[in-house]
Amino acid sequence: MPDDPKPEGAPEPESAPPSEPATPEPKPAEAAKPAAPAPEAKPPAAPAPPKPAAAAAAKPAPAAAAKPPVPKAPAVMAVTPWESDLTKALAEEFGAAISEFSSYVGQSFLVVKADSAIPVIESLKFNHGFDYLVDVTAVHYPERPEPLDVIYILYSFSRNERIRVKIRIKDGDRPRTVTKVHTTADWLEREVYDMFGIEFEGHPNMKRILLPDEWSTFPLRKENSILNMDQRWVQENLGIESGQ
Amino acid sequence: MMGLLRKIFLADLFQGLRVTFRTQNPKNIVTEQYPAERPKVAERYRGAPRLNINPENGQTLCIACDLCALACPETLIVVGWERNPETKRKDLVTFTYDTSRCMFCGLCEDACPVDALELTQDFELASYSREGAIFDRQTLEEGIKPTKYRF
Amino acid sequence: MTMAGTFLDSTELVLNMGPQHPSTHGVLRVILKLDGERVLGTECVIGYLHRGVEKIAENRTYAMFAPYVDRMDYVAAVSNGLGYCLAVEKLLNAEATPRAQAVRVILTELNRIGSHLLWLGTHALDIGAITPLFYCMREREYTLNIFEKYCGARLTTHAFRIGGLQYETYDGFEKDVLEFCDMFLPKVDEYEELLTGNRIWIERLTNVGILNAADCKDYGVTGPMLRAAGVKWDIRKALPYSGYEKYDFEIPTRENGDTYDRYIVRMQEMRQSVRILRQAVADIPAGPIMAKVPKVIKPPVGEAYVSIEAPKGELGYYIVSDGSTQPWRVRVRPPSFVNLQALDKMARGALVADVVAIIGTTDIVLGEVDR
Repeated sequence: MPDDPKPEGAPEPESAPPSEPATPEPKPAEAAKPAAPAPEAKPPAAPAPPKPAAAAAAKPAPAAAAKPPVPKAPAVMAVTPWESDLTKALAEEFGAAISEFSSYVGQSFLVVKADSAIPVIESLKFNHGFDYLVDVTAVHYPERPEPLDVIYILYSFSRNERIRVKIRIKDGDRPRTVTKVHTTADWLEREVYDMFGIEFEGHPNMKRILLPDEWSTFPLRKENSILNMDQRWVQENLGIESGQ
Repeated sequence: MMGLLRKIFLADLFQGLRVTFRTQNPKNIVTEQYPAERPKVAERYRGAPRLNINPENGQTLCIACDLCALACPETLIVVGWERNPETKRKDLVTFTYDTSRCMFCGLCEDACPVDALELTQDFELASYSREGAIFDRQTLEEGIKPTKYRF
Repeated sequence: MTMAGTFLDSTELVLNMGPQHPSTHGVLRVILKLDGERVLGTECVIGYLHRGVEKIAENRTYAMFAPYVDRMDYVAAVSNGLGYCLAVEKLLNAEATPRAQAVRVILTELNRIGSHLLWLGTHALDIGAITPLFYCMREREYTLNIFEKYCGARLTTHAFRIGGLQYETYDGFEKDVLEFCDMFLPKVDEYEELLTGNRIWIERLTNVGILNAADCKDYGVTGPMLRAAGVKWDIRKALPYSGYEKYDFEIPTRENGDTYDRYIVRMQEMRQSVRILRQAVADIPAGPIMAKVPKVIKPPVGEAYVSIEAPKGELGYYIVSDGSTQPWRVRVRPPSFVNLQALDKMARGALVADVVAIIGTTDIVLGEVDR
């Protein structure tokens, strides 16, 4: 049985799950979602929504429930600058390669140019004590010119501090692997590849980890809806009409 | 020396056996003989769903507001209603609850503004077919009737 | 005659362990490369239980997704729920009320004990000691009964809601928990009587699957495995959440980082959990159980990573909000998945029979590994 769409006459359109196969015409539920959600501090370059005034530090726009066709103001993450000894040392060492030091709800992160991610993480590990790579993950923003964020979450036992290192990449870019610095990245990067199709350059074993090897889609990319995954694989291997 | 003696006389073995034999007392039995002995489930247990009926007039309490269907993460509740031309209110016509997909999270129960939908203490939800797991309005109002066995 | 040149000196053997194997604790498939009884290398094949939880999250509202997280680590469903609720509360910039926090701590610690008990029972069963399983299950039942009385479900509890709790504690909740504490500590002694000094147990576990502190950090291994290697690190102390800073407890550590040390650490953790339980039950603040959070949860645009000390290690939720009612991305950092990665490191050079012990000591739940 499919996750069928909500019955007609739902009082709150924004809570209806947009779990329908992606169709060209914009649905109210999809239109309620803003475009690229977090190009921090930069207004999105893609289709300029009609309220650019609130770009800088916009609080989340009020619910667009009343008028679904009107897209929301380009909401951006209300970040505050992050300054500490660590940021000074890193800025000195890497200069323009680190484009942003910010923090949000008390959690700090830095945005790094894709090709200097590994040196930054290496320096964080060996010079600043960030010796534990908590997680590697990615986020897909299809509307952005650089649609994929790869996020490294690092923790330092000695400083008791957790930071995030972000890189922004284009589709088809191959960021370098971090497995040579932190062994734990092996499976984590494989999972990122499995879910987003980001191939890591130099990874020892770049293949799918959770999904079957013959799977054809990268499920967590936004163009793949939850209903249309790999029907062909399901039909061939499971002998049922659909996985839903 | 002590360690060697413990080794020779298998002290660790007998120590463990003492624990085992301590629990041999029949009053320590905790196993329930399930079908013969009915377990007492907690008052808040989230089991089979039920649509409550107003005991005074025998009519359903449900006002067909559709909030349960909206709250359900699995979208397995379908509420059918029609507008009553006299009272201008929604009247419940059908109510389908697919327990085969239900994870008994209780969100529908929380959403119900009139306490009509309730997850009850009935826990025997097995059925012979998948269709049997889809509860219609009648089943929901009357409650499930599991087969009773005699022992 | 030397072995060289005979058929005994032939190539390595590849042995397939699982996915249907009683000691892999679910549907884990491990491909072992063997030289006789020695393990030369392993490869894990996982994903048999993959349900796409992270994709489901993107298609559900914040409140709707909460029951799904219980299904990842189904042995410690309460911890999963706590982590998720804390992450969304962080995005909302809200905090649960003091009463809700205390009840959350009680339930999570009960759940930690339940999870460790299940681990102990199955781990001992893998090694060959059947008796502890029955006792562990018997005591775990008490924790499950408290969950059932509190929220109506035993395993996948969905006990917490974003902003606090859905259910007020039932009459006699404190009494039940205190009774459990009184009953449980002697039982831990009983398990230790069965196992800690037992010669077979010691022989099977000491110096098996050693992972030292540096390797633990390199592999991202957290939880009892890290503490058994001598790193005194517990998120409840390091980055306290849900009011853990109020409670007085110790972080048990050991030095060797072998399977036996992990066993000792987990046994002591259960005692520490009882200690936290007693303190928390003695002082549940009065007041509302639900903080003021909007009915329709719409966190502002932003992202947050919140992690808790789950029974198996660091359980983190990285949630990206786009300002709508549905999360843009929910990433779960599962402790089992990351810890399982160190299996290869631990199993290299060990015997086949030790692989079972090593998988057991990693304390994995495949629902969480595969999500």
